[in-house]
Amino acid sequence: MRVHTGQPVPPVEFTPDTVTLLRFGAVTRNAHRIHYDTGFARSEGLDGPVVMAQLHGCLMHRAAMSFAGRDGQVLEVEWQNRAPALAGERLVVSGTVGAVDPVSGRVTLDLVEHGGRGDVVCCRGRAVVLMG
Amino acid sequence: MSAWEVAEERARAVIGRPDHRDLGVVRAEDAAEFARAAGETSPRLTDPGHPGFSVHPLYVVSLLRGAGGAGQGEFRPDGMYRDEVPGTDGLDVRLMAGGQEVRFTGEVRAGDRIAVRRVLTDVARKGSDAPFLLLTVEKTYTAERSTLVRVRERFIVR
Repeated sequence: MRVHTGQPVPPVEFTPDTVTLLRFGAVTRNAHRIHYDTGFARSEGLDGPVVMAQLHGCLMHRAAMSFAGRDGQVLEVEWQNRAPALAGERLVVSGTVGAVDPVSGRVTLDLVEHGGRGDVVCCRGRAVVLMG
Repeated sequence: MSAWEVAEERARAVIGRPDHRDLGVVRAEDAAEFARAAGETSPRLTDPGHPGFSVHPLYVVSLLRGAGGAGQGEFRPDGMYRDEVPGTDGLDVRLMAGGQEVRFTGEVRAGDRIAVRRVLTDVARKGSDAPFLLLTVEKTYTAERSTLVRVRERFIVR
């Protein structure tokens, strides 16, 4: 597959609800109350339980892996949390190809995650992949 | 001195001082549950019985503790581990994750015993109207055979 700068990264989406957050927190042993305790989350100035950073990272990784293809490889993934995402919000990661190194074959993807009604940028990030 | 300033002073005092944590042995079933909870549907990530099964690459870097968990005394009132964010133990400060940079250098396999080395590398004051601390922690995850993942993680302390 030929890849060029500016090429769109097809979007991936996920809607983590409160059950998702409980499952994800349990398997990662993350007991931070902002992820499941509504009253506590509000006492911290949040509108309710919020999605874990690592779960945002997983969606970034999935977008990168989907773009790289079945036999592709994700070498790096990074993200910065810009705004909290609440349980039950639809999250969509999309992006574009930012750079292609013809020697190494490394493709850099510029990624963004939108949440809520799509008008909130929850995360910005990038990934480096090798295409399958 | 405010709790926030105490956290800053404590954190600056431990910059560059490494600590180590044992995350235990990776179980395929746990990695598969992680993948399912993250919304993955590919059996290569969610079905340990699949011939092409692999551990989700973000599984071990998302783990805050191994399967042994932690004792009651190891938690802050907000549910975070007392030693997770440097300098904040016992202080009434608000903690948030700021993001991560993850570089994969090897494949995590079921059966690997994972150790992580953590070092606080930077403490910065950010913001103007609502100032906060930005702590940078670098983590290196290893199995016996090699280094598997390098992470730069940021925590926000308000």
